[in-house]
Amino acid sequence: MARLGFDERELQSRRAIFELHDEDLQRLTAIRAIAERHMAEVVDGFYALLLGHPGTRRFLTDDAQVARLKRTQSAYFLQLFDGRCDLPYVENRIRVGAVHERIGLAPKWYIAAYRRYLALLLERVVLDIPDRAEALAAYQSLKKIVAFDMSIAIDTYIAANLESLGRHQAAIRELSTPVIRVHERLLLLPLVGAIDSQRAQQVMEMVLVRVIEEKARAIIIDIAGVPVVDTKVADHLLKTTAAVKLIGAQTILTGISAQVARTIVQLGVDISSMHTLARLSEGIELGLELVGKRIAPKEPS
Amino acid sequence: MGSLAFESQTLSSETMAIDREEDIVHVRKRARMLAQARGFDAFACAALTTAASELARNVWVHGGGGQATLEELSDGNRFGIRMVFRDQGPGIADLERALQGGYSTARSLGLGLSGTRRLVEDFAIDTRPGEGTRVTITKWTRF
Amino acid sequence: MSRKGPIPILRVGNVLLTTIHIDLQDTIAAAFQEDVLTEIEKTGAHGIVVDISGLDEVDTHVARILAETGAMARLMGTRAVLVGMRPEVAATLVRMGYAMGAIETALDVDDGLRLLGGRPKG
Ligand SMILES: Nc1ncnc2c1ncn2[C@@H]1O[C@H](COP(=O)(O)OP(=O)(O)O)[C@@H](O)[C@H]1O
Ligand SMILES: [Mg+2]
Repeated sequence: MARLGFDERELQSRRAIFELHDEDLQRLTAIRAIAERHMAEVVDGFYALLLGHPGTRRFLTDDAQVARLKRTQSAYFLQLFDGRCDLPYVENRIRVGAVHERIGLAPKWYIAAYRRYLALLLERVVLDIPDRAEALAAYQSLKKIVAFDMSIAIDTYIAANLESLGRHQAAIRELSTPVIRVHERLLLLPLVGAIDSQRAQQVMEMVLVRVIEEKARAIIIDIAGVPVVDTKVADHLLKTTAAVKLIGAQTILTGISAQVARTIVQLGVDISSMHTLARLSEGIELGLELVGKRIAPKEPS
Repeated sequence: MGSLAFESQTLSSETMAIDREEDIVHVRKRARMLAQARGFDAFACAALTTAASELARNVWVHGGGGQATLEELSDGNRFGIRMVFRDQGPGIADLERALQGGYSTARSLGLGLSGTRRLVEDFAIDTRPGEGTRVTITKWTRF
Repeated sequence: MSRKGPIPILRVGNVLLTTIHIDLQDTIAAAFQEDVLTEIEKTGAHGIVVDISGLDEVDTHVARILAETGAMARLMGTRAVLVGMRPEVAATLVRMGYAMGAIETALDVDDGLRLLGGRPKG
């Protein structure tokens, strides 16, 4: 629900968009008795349609499953006439949408099936209401709640897609910023290639996330593989160091060549807040010290 | 079909009052909710909600209250969130200094405006002495 | 303990521990600062751990209150350690150009207490 941004405010604003007023809900409760009378016909008719089309039939594997789905569908059917459209109702609709997304039912099938459902409701339920004006009003109300439901289902599809897109991106980021665990609570990031501000931001985020994941005390960033270290790059490294410090860990910068040292000093970048070392091996020694360990020669046995 | 270049389109728009200090929290929470629903990651959400806090606080502290308008946008490829903060307060006399950072007339940090600017993709200020201030920011999802 | 604000301050041995779980609006922030200082005065605690793992957003206003409270504690001879800051919060503050000065930090409450000597070294 949080993911979809659904709170009371969103509920009210969405109901306003669909003009789904309390009178509509009352109108639907008023015809509940008629609806109940026709429930079995509507549900059976609906599944007959679904089974009649290859695009939807493939989701319906056996009779037991169809029987189960019919029971769920009956419950859904009755909820339309419960006169409630509150957060629990929405939550239920989100679940329904999520299930359809998970089994891979494309939105076009969902919408097409819903259109049929509405047609059945019109034929079986609405036309059974004796008063013509009342029937028409009830049908309008039904369409509102059905459209409201569809909007939620579509949002569920979109949210699921966004989530999988996000996972793909995270995977790509991880490949370009490989943070390695050197020892318990000690991490290493060998940076290779040019660093523009977009990549620098990714690096910072990845470093922070990994430090928290591994509860690292320190992270070594080796910049031997970075071709150009200018003020901008130095500034990014300083920012990353500052952020790492804020979450309670330390940064060790290694792989600083004579050329880079010269540039940094000439550019006037103040790197006094950083641990800096020429060689990665020295960085590892310092890092181990920070986590309370030491590399010692093997005792002769 | 390839990607179609759409004009950016407003999907929704809502306006909230900033009359009390609690309203800063309301605006910020609403911004977070919208950002999360549109797939902004944790870092982008934090950037957006922090920007909302800063600007809403400025409306309240420096502008004497006003309104925030939150809009959801789409450009066909990405979602965006645009926020407009408006007040009818004294306006910002020295805009250049206020944007430089570290300058505050309220003896606070003075990093609200300059910092917010670095957190979002679009940042615009319209301010007139004696008439008020309007700050508009937009942040987009990363894909 | 006579607290003015809604944020509890616990005593763990010779160290104070406080968890910020709500928005630090003006009145709450003022009460929090006062409570911290009163508690330090009363207990003579040599350190205080401030846990902000519950905050999903820290703007410059809140950051300043935290940094200030730390500085005041230090003036009274009490080390202040900020713990539990989330990655996205740290990244945002740094991008805005605020690194919270000289305040000490640790990953979590355990590390914070250890740093202050409240827990065995590990
Ligand atoms: N809405 C506003 N109305 C009037 N003045 C403003 C407004 N927003 C910002 N300012 C001015 O710009 C300065 C810098 O703002 P900001 O960067 O947010 O720092 P701070 O709020 O800490 O002072 C403020 O001190 C104030 O003088
Ligand atoms: Mg401000």
